[in-house]
Amino acid sequence: MSDHTSAAPAGSADTRDAPEYVCDVCGRAFYTDDLLVLHRGVRHPSVLDEADRDAYRDAYAAEERAIRSFRIRALGILVLLYFGFLFLYVFYAS
Amino acid sequence: MRPENPSQSDHDEDAVDDLAETAPGRLGSAIGPRGARIGAFALALVGVLLLARGVAASNAAVGLSEASSEGLSIPRWLYVATGGAAIGASALLAGFVTDRGFVNRVHEWRHGLGTRDRLRGVGMAVGSLLGALLIALIVYRGITGPQVSTINFAVVVVFAGGRAGLTMAAYAIGNPWPALNPFRAVTSRLPTGVVDYPERLGRWPAVAGILLLIWVETTTGVTNTPNLLAAAVAGYAVVALAGAVLVGSDAWFRNADPVSAFFRFYGRVAPLAWEDGRLRLSLPAMRLVEGWADEPRRDGGDGQTVDADDARLVRGLDDVAIAVALVWELTFSGFVTTEQGASVIRGVVGVGLPPILVYAVLFIGGFVVFYGAFLGAARIAVRRILTARTPRELVVAFAPSLLVIAAGYHLAHYFAFFLSLLPSLSAVLADPLSAPANPVVFTLPAWVSALNIVFVLGGHLVAIWVAHSTAYQLFPSRLQAIRSQYPFVFVMIGYTAVSLWLISLPSTTPAYLG
Repeated sequence: MSDHTSAAPAGSADTRDAPEYVCDVCGRAFYTDDLLVLHRGVRHPSVLDEADRDAYRDAYAAEERAIRSFRIRALGILVLLYFGFLFLYVFYAS
Repeated sequence: MRPENPSQSDHDEDAVDDLAETAPGRLGSAIGPRGARIGAFALALVGVLLLARGVAASNAAVGLSEASSEGLSIPRWLYVATGGAAIGASALLAGFVTDRGFVNRVHEWRHGLGTRDRLRGVGMAVGSLLGALLIALIVYRGITGPQVSTINFAVVVVFAGGRAGLTMAAYAIGNPWPALNPFRAVTSRLPTGVVDYPERLGRWPAVAGILLLIWVETTTGVTNTPNLLAAAVAGYAVVALAGAVLVGSDAWFRNADPVSAFFRFYGRVAPLAWEDGRLRLSLPAMRLVEGWADEPRRDGGDGQTVDADDARLVRGLDDVAIAVALVWELTFSGFVTTEQGASVIRGVVGVGLPPILVYAVLFIGGFVVFYGAFLGAARIAVRRILTARTPRELVVAFAPSLLVIAAGYHLAHYFAFFLSLLPSLSAVLADPLSAPANPVVFTLPAWVSALNIVFVLGGHLVAIWVAHSTAYQLFPSRLQAIRSQYPFVFVMIGYTAVSLWLISLPSTTPAYLG
């Protein structure tokens, strides 16, 4: 169902016409299938059947990969910040 | 001195417990790989410690810049930048926490302190009598007492007691105003509600009222003219009683009364509150994370339904404006009481403008800038992520996080003030009808002023966690939740930079007003 796409769609403007994936429990609409699957898994876990649950696990795992790449980048920024400020203090604190 | 707040370290301890047992319940938490989470928490801790070093250096610098001109110092821009970086880095660190189950447990944690309805009733009765007595004494002593602000009952009680002490109690313990409010106690026993409150006004009257009270406080000299303060308090009392009689007690104090709104918003930060007739304890500021589920959410444990709309603090743009106004008013009064702020105003007035106009433009203009920045952040956030939520939904959801920031600023601006005036306050309260012969004011050690940095940064750090938790309520995708935060974090960095800069400047009496 959702194994080929990552659940991390960047804000691509061309898909912004109308959200077409509608949750049949609460009526909230989403732009991608993955987001709907994740929404159902998070908000309505009690109505999921076995197939839904598998789809949710797949979407969750795909998102986990995207989050891992976020973590690496965030760590890089933290390291840069730390050393950047270390050097700033070396030069300017007197 | 570490800049993190107590609640943040509570989370870390909980996190360790959380790792020890596999979280049951939600589907999500069972799937997350454990090693990555442990690694992330270790990184988060290291990061916080690293940041603590940087900030500790700027503490020392500020203490020095106020106390003397000799020795070690860092340039002010570096101190401000360090504060901003601390906020940005902690937002990134919050992004490492992606376990929904853990995030929810932190803000849903409650500890019931029992049903004590009779105690509450007695407390309300005694409180409103006390409130009525205090208001009467403020007006009476403001007129008849000595016209010296430091020993006059009215000035000391209103500013050291109400503006500083009671507000601190509101966000640190629980909202005391519903118990103290004498006007509500009186009007709820009278036939009220001559006309219906016009719903389309929303809570904008309260926004205008808060801005008006701040304006009166800063520009009319009520802080050093007890007579005038007594008149202002009496005027407020008349308006409150008339308003409550006109539109009904509930509607008035919920929508239009600035003091009630002020305390209700600050009170939401506090750990103690009455929920469903029970006194309950929560982690500080965690009641700001409101249910943003798509249906009335069922709280996992006790199966109790939370009616999302009634308990919600912020429901529309008017409430957002109140939250922004609370942040802005402290920034404004901070600015006009610094030497730099006063010289800017003198410079502008020197061109030939009336001072009061300059203050008005600065006051309203600054509020509009703060409000616009927050709205703009929401618009950018919606554009950056693929969501059907509107910018309005986002500002309404994230506005409560501003209240922790406001509480941090308030503490930074009023904590030392409150401590030093504590002897005067207890002296006038102990003997309201005669002026203290020998007023005592504490002189505080220099490190107390360094605490201000901790308060400002601490408020922002908790606000980041509140916004992070709120984002997890709003978005099904965890990555969306993280991404939605970026614009808001930049706005917060801006607020922090301004506020840290202000508290590092030497203070003075405002130009043309003192």
